[in-house]
Amino acid sequence: MVLSFFKRGESGLEHVAHQTISMLGDARHSFDLASTAVLAGADPAAVGADIRATDERINAAEQQLRSELVVHVAVQGGGDIGLVLGYTLLLKKIERIGDQAKNILDLAEEGISLAGADDVEMFIGRRQQISQMYVEAADILASQDADRARSFLAASRELNAECEAKVHEYMHSDRPGHWAVPRAILHRYWKRIVANLAGIVTAAIEPISSLDYLEGGAADIVD
Amino acid sequence: MSDRGPVQFESAARLLRFAVVLGLIYLFLAGVSSLEGGIKVMGADTQERLFSNVSHPIAGLFIGLLGTVLVQSSSASTSVIVGLVASGALGLEAAVPMIMGANLGTTVTNTLVSLGHVRQSNEFRRALSAATVHDFFNVMAVIVLLPFELATGLISRLATGTADLLVGSGGAEWESPLKALVKAPVSALKDGLKSAGFDGNALGVSMVAVGLVVVLVSLISITKNMKQLIAARLERSMNRVLGRGGGLVAIVVGILVTVAVQSSSITTSILIPMSAAGVITLRNAYPVTLGANVGTTITALLAAMAASGSDALSIALVHTWFNVIGILVLFGIPFLRPLPIRAAELLAEIAVRRRTFAFVWVLGMFIIVPLIGVAIFR
Repeated sequence: MVLSFFKRGESGLEHVAHQTISMLGDARHSFDLASTAVLAGADPAAVGADIRATDERINAAEQQLRSELVVHVAVQGGGDIGLVLGYTLLLKKIERIGDQAKNILDLAEEGISLAGADDVEMFIGRRQQISQMYVEAADILASQDADRARSFLAASRELNAECEAKVHEYMHSDRPGHWAVPRAILHRYWKRIVANLAGIVTAAIEPISSLDYLEGGAADIVD
Repeated sequence: MSDRGPVQFESAARLLRFAVVLGLIYLFLAGVSSLEGGIKVMGADTQERLFSNVSHPIAGLFIGLLGTVLVQSSSASTSVIVGLVASGALGLEAAVPMIMGANLGTTVTNTLVSLGHVRQSNEFRRALSAATVHDFFNVMAVIVLLPFELATGLISRLATGTADLLVGSGGAEWESPLKALVKAPVSALKDGLKSAGFDGNALGVSMVAVGLVVVLVSLISITKNMKQLIAARLERSMNRVLGRGGGLVAIVVGILVTVAVQSSSITTSILIPMSAAGVITLRNAYPVTLGANVGTTITALLAAMAASGSDALSIALVHTWFNVIGILVLFGIPFLRPLPIRAAELLAEIAVRRRTFAFVWVLGMFIIVPLIGVAIFR
């Protein structure tokens, strides 16, 4: 272990970047599992253990990476302070996304299942769209591609507007509560996940001072 | 293709920096040699007047401490001591307490760094305890080992024995190959000063002054450049200490990092913000500082390579053995191990309640007590 001092390896921030991408992979895994429980009728007990273990892994990684960011500043000085603060926010957003997968699991554990419902195809399509956004966000973090980031942010705004519209639709639906409420809640959770993914991508390209704020200066409260 | 450019530029910059470090090490060795040469040029009377004050071990201890506080580098002060021993002006016996004092004085830097957290109680408690655990370990090592050394001469005998093993028992006549390499610039300096009209004590003092400046400047520059060169490795090592906890691994990391940057202050000062932020515990930071104590002795060993005779090597080895034995006793014996930690925690607790106490500690420990000690025992 000590001999690794003499070996070449990635720098502190490179390691944080790689781990962050790996955390996003874990968060996607939780999201997919939780969604399967709600949309495909998978046994919540069976997927729950995996989701909770993944969440613990995400939380442990967040703690470890926060420490590594402190070590980076202690060793390298304040030159990378903007990046370090950006990563701190970004890690928190990934941790929140992990929690939101647990929220979706909670729906399944409450006995909610949309498997076989008339509108399940729409839900499955949207789930796939969001699941793909995890991959896209990770790619953008790795490549720091500003054009892709802008396209991602535009798509996320569109998707969030659709989710918001759906929430309103369900709130004013004439259908019974046990039909409308789970659908509204699921769209609300999705909206928050997409907002956090957008926040992660924003952190990759925007200065730290503008993160979590909209263009006019108002706070972004969706996530 | 676009990625190769910056990578190649970075590699070239690293190579250049490494070459600069090699040049600086040469300059450092030349500085030590100039220091030794300057003392030798001075008359025996002058040498006697200069070093009669350190004949008492307590005075020697405090002079070593004050000298190190002044330059904020035990690497620099111990290298000067090596040069003085090599010149024959300072005996090995008198130099041993000075080396121990230098070990004490070097802890001032991270203690000063910890004072930067004085406004935040919790951060300050953690930062000050991480800094002063180094103070307390070194104070306790001196309390245990200085009387033991004065009574038995064990550390100096161990060091002399090791030096004999390394250079042979006819060590008084031993001349390091590096000494020959740095002869040219020192001779050029001496000739230059002579042609400028310097001779006798004036020539000696000038050579010593130039030597001191060169040693200090080159050491600072070596540290700065090496820190840049090994920053990524340093970061990875610190992360491993966080991941695996303290103990032997932390000691070895402390040694490696300090040998690489040639400064224990760099290693221990990095621990302060980490401790203040709570990412490393005092128990895990403590062994890193012990490793730093051992690692910093490499500079005096390097200086001994440019000095004459085996006594220079012996005093450098005294520094190493003192720290190794200190660790064996104070860290190796289980019931003694927590003592520096508890003392540091207690001091931090008091200082959090009365902030002025921290400043009193720094002034008292590093300036007032040593000055009084020198005044009494010289």
